Amino acid sequence: MALRTLLLAAANLLIPVAILIFATGFFPYKPFMPGLAEYEKLGWEDAMGWKEGSVPEAPFDKLVFMVVDALRSDFVFGEESGMTFVQSLIREGTALPFTAHAASPTITMPKVKAITTGSIPSFLDVILNFAESDTTSTLSTQDTWLAQLKAKKGGKLVMYGDDTWLKLFPGFFERADGTSSFFVSDFTEVDNNVTRHVPEELLNSDWNAMIMHYLGLDHIGHKAGPRSPNMIPKQKEMDDIVRDIYSAIENEDHLSKTLFVLCGDHGMNEGGNHGGSAAGETSPALVFMSPRLRDITPHTNRVSPTKPKEGGGEFEYYRMVEQSDIAPTLAGLLGFPVPRNNLGVFIKELLAFWPNRIDRLRLLLRNARQMKRIVEATYPSLNYGDDSRALGKECEPPLSDGQELACKWRGVVDILSASSRHITADLKIDQLYWFMDAAQEKMSSTASNYDVPRLTTGTALAFVSVVLTFFTLPALRPFTPSGIAYALTLILYSVLMFASSYVEEEHNFWYWAVSGWFFYLFIAESRKEWQSKFIFHPAIMLLITHRIIRRWNQTGQKYAGADDIVHSGIFHGRSSFILWALVGATYMDITIRVSRHIARSIVVFDKNSNSEDPQAVDANRFLGVVAVLPLGATAFIFKLAFTARDAPELTYGINQGLIQWVEDLSLVDVARMVFAGTALSVVWIMISEWKRKRDRRGEGSGDLAIALFDLLSLFIITQTKAQNIPLYLLFRFQFFFLSLLDLSPAAITTTTLLLTQTSFFALGNSNAISSIDLSNAYNGVSGYNVLAVGALLFLSNWAGPLYFTAASSLLLSALGRPRRNIAMDEVDSRDWVQKEREHLERMAKSEEEGRKRRENGEAWGRHVALVTLWVGVATASVMVACTSEVSVCDGVGDRISFWGYAGVRIVGLGGGKVVGGLMGRIEA
Amino acid sequence: MATTVLNSHPKPRAPATPTDVLPTDAAQLYTHIHPILVLSLYALQFPSIVADPVPALATALVPLGILQIAYVAICLPPTGGTATPVVDKKKPGSGAGEKGKKGGMRGTIIPGFLSLIVVSIVIAPLLAAILVLFGAPLTTHHAHTLLAAAHISFLATLPLVYVHGVDGAAWRDIIALLRPVDEVYGGMIGGVVGAWLGAVPIPLDWDREWQKWPVTIVSGAYVGWAVGKMVGGFLKGRKIGFE
Repeated sequence: MALRTLLLAAANLLIPVAILIFATGFFPYKPFMPGLAEYEKLGWEDAMGWKEGSVPEAPFDKLVFMVVDALRSDFVFGEESGMTFVQSLIREGTALPFTAHAASPTITMPKVKAITTGSIPSFLDVILNFAESDTTSTLSTQDTWLAQLKAKKGGKLVMYGDDTWLKLFPGFFERADGTSSFFVSDFTEVDNNVTRHVPEELLNSDWNAMIMHYLGLDHIGHKAGPRSPNMIPKQKEMDDIVRDIYSAIENEDHLSKTLFVLCGDHGMNEGGNHGGSAAGETSPALVFMSPRLRDITPHTNRVSPTKPKEGGGEFEYYRMVEQSDIAPTLAGLLGFPVPRNNLGVFIKELLAFWPNRIDRLRLLLRNARQMKRIVEATYPSLNYGDDSRALGKECEPPLSDGQELACKWRGVVDILSASSRHITADLKIDQLYWFMDAAQEKMSSTASNYDVPRLTTGTALAFVSVVLTFFTLPALRPFTPSGIAYALTLILYSVLMFASSYVEEEHNFWYWAVSGWFFYLFIAESRKEWQSKFIFHPAIMLLITHRIIRRWNQTGQKYAGADDIVHSGIFHGRSSFILWALVGATYMDITIRVSRHIARSIVVFDKNSNSEDPQAVDANRFLGVVAVLPLGATAFIFKLAFTARDAPELTYGINQGLIQWVEDLSLVDVARMVFAGTALSVVWIMISEWKRKRDRRGEGSGDLAIALFDLLSLFIITQTKAQNIPLYLLFRFQFFFLSLLDLSPAAITTTTLLLTQTSFFALGNSNAISSIDLSNAYNGVSGYNVLAVGALLFLSNWAGPLYFTAASSLLLSALGRPRRNIAMDEVDSRDWVQKEREHLERMAKSEEEGRKRRENGEAWGRHVALVTLWVGVATASVMVACTSEVSVCDGVGDRISFWGYAGVRIVGLGGGKVVGGLMGRIEA
Repeated sequence: MATTVLNSHPKPRAPATPTDVLPTDAAQLYTHIHPILVLSLYALQFPSIVADPVPALATALVPLGILQIAYVAICLPPTGGTATPVVDKKKPGSGAGEKGKKGGMRGTIIPGFLSLIVVSIVIAPLLAAILVLFGAPLTTHHAHTLLAAAHISFLATLPLVYVHGVDGAAWRDIIALLRPVDEVYGGMIGGVVGAWLGAVPIPLDWDREWQKWPVTIVSGAYVGWAVGKMVGGFLKGRKIGFE
């Protein structure tokens, strides 16, 4: 027993350690080059005839940089676009259109980093995007085109829009007005706050860069998807702003040399979300605009509106460039050195501003030299000299990534050093692009920055954990169907980790497995006893609730945006009272449950009555309800107030007077009241149960566990979106039906593991980072508190798994079963006396079994062993899949899946052990 | 620790026996040819089912129904209304064949047709409901689901209805997997499990036409039925243990 506990503890400790080591190898911290870039030394002065330190003249001196959040390429270039003015500019050649490939993670903060530094953001930035307060992630110390523009003589920046920029660039802006994107229901105000500054700023001549970041279009996407009726009007609104700015550039003297860039930071998928690496998400538009462009675009594609490129992706309009290319291109066009950490390549079409080939070469060579520094830092052992005579082995196959780049750099060196007249400047330009494109590809690709030894160590540790757990497992024989189901699910799941298409569609696996498992439970129960009303068989009811639960939220990639219960309209607009009736029922159910516990606690402290007497408890029920109702009502009002701001379309069916009243409440204060009330109830019930246990001479009743579970449910639904709260009513039904079935411990383990996974996906989560829901992470938090926000974020996104892990402890201890007196009524209605006796005996036996399980902890130990094995095997297989087959974890967006798996399990185990430990052990 | 389920279920009825294929030469031969015929017919129609499931599945029901009636008429003993006559019939041995021949069309084809009607009216809608519970679309594709259910029930349950009739006790045992295995019962289990396994390829990103609803689960049911029928024949008389 002691050895087993020791092994299990070690196995559980190993899992987070393994994940941590693996993660540091998988998301290595990229060292960046500090300091502001200066113009690179050119070299080859004799061969090329240029003077060291000379800079080609820049065609522009001012920049208007307009970011429209989630501006997908087709929103500007497509045939259904509302941006007709931009399209007219493309036709007349004063606008140069591109699709700018945005590498995943397609979230605003990392994408702003990519646009401004030209580098590929690391996974660390994703985490920091969520913990926005963190100041270590600011770009104030990094080299960006903002820093370069500010460093120029008389450089002044102004910024209006998304306050991400203000956080990333503290103290950079002369004038600024930030808007927050916390409530995505705001389509208009958030943009008007930007637009109102535009006319006066266009009259000011003191700035050399104006940055605008509009959020409204992204909000519309999040709310209603790319086909929302609000989408085209919003595009027209953006188009009008472009028209205003463009005509100012045409007419105002001080703006005559202004470059106007319009771009999206990322796109959106068919569901209107972003974060992953689907074509829609990674294809924002990019347009360079200026009257001066007319001279250089006679030969470019001026067709607009148009269709995506033949043979290209679904959203590939015109030429596809990288988002990181924006930084070096701006550097060239506005005349400043390319930022140090840039991995972008100057956009070829814009080279035409310099008719002299030598100017073009100077520009590109500096771009290439800057990139070469990063390549050198990554592969320090290779030769990147300027001397072609020091021939190394760079070009002998087989070539590693580093050798290939070194070889291509050799090519650059050779061609620049060559004195032959046959080698034209254009050839040299091609050679430079050849090197830079390769460097961009290699340095941006994920594989190049893995730390393989750490990956291997992490994976090995996960395997060690599996092996340790293996020795703690209960005897494998005899085979039970539950054991076989457990093993089969685990094996299948591990195999599925290697099928990249199932990573996005993982929910389907769980939904499928759970249906099969519930049907098996029906058959297994039918073998013991046939129930004449088989439609109402608990297992069939489980199947029916499961069917509703799985349609609640559409998740995954393949059918993203398909209709589900939440989006079907039965909860929207006028009929939203249906939703609130269900939400109210959920709160009412929990309130009544908690009131029962409070009633019991009143009896405990009443000297005249016996707390084991159900009648005495019932007599205090009213008092209990009176005591708990304020908490339940506050929690409900908090949800209503939050939803009225976050998703007003879900509250149109509610009395508008009530809505106006709750809208005036301070969300932070109300949330704190709910949390404090819940915490107070926990403490109160713990004290009363402790006293009760002492009165019973140390014999626990299991009531504390149930009380904690009910209060946990209250906390969990406070952390859940209103439209998902009825799911917890359904989960409660499932829990009830499961408690009606006479499940073996192994069956309980298998069931709850399956439901843990199912609930995660049913709540609308998926393995894509875009499904992470931030809205409830700030409940009761004012200002910035990384720890609190992180904890709430975790709890609100993994609430379903937590719920079922806690439920598993109750089921395992046979707690929360219908009490015997309730069962008696059922028994009385039966005809056969014999049946009655059998039933009673079985009830007594199962209660007794449950008590025994609680007491000796054997079943609990087995449960923990099986869950630990599950976590270990799943972690190990995700790690192996990620290491061996990059496509599974390709792109940082999908890497979140890894965190998803790990997260579910850590919470499942950690939370399950804390809660379950309280319930299963202390109560024994 | 492991309590056998059968002990806790005292049964007043005679123990159930596996269904035997009739001892005539034709029956013994056709029972092996039948799955080949059914599967080849399905394979033949597969392209049109993929192209347009509803009309193709509806058309395919006709030959499937005919083949299944032929199979039960040739190979299986019809129900006698209760469970006992089936047992009775087997005792005379060669007499059963005579009796079967004497009954001719009226004795076998008509019960076959009756089974078909029971299956279409009762079991197919029930199965469609179960399909929906397992995740079939609820608001769309009604014809698809109903036809899929019809195919699965024709394959898996028509012979069972023919052999056991509408005897409630027998059907309870069938659902609870308490009957001894035989090729008819094995075919049912195989068909249902096959249909369930058939759902696996649907979410994969292969973008094939045949991944659409309900092609994969119908195919799974056909293959599963054939395999189950064969395995059931091998393991005849065994009971399914759940302990």
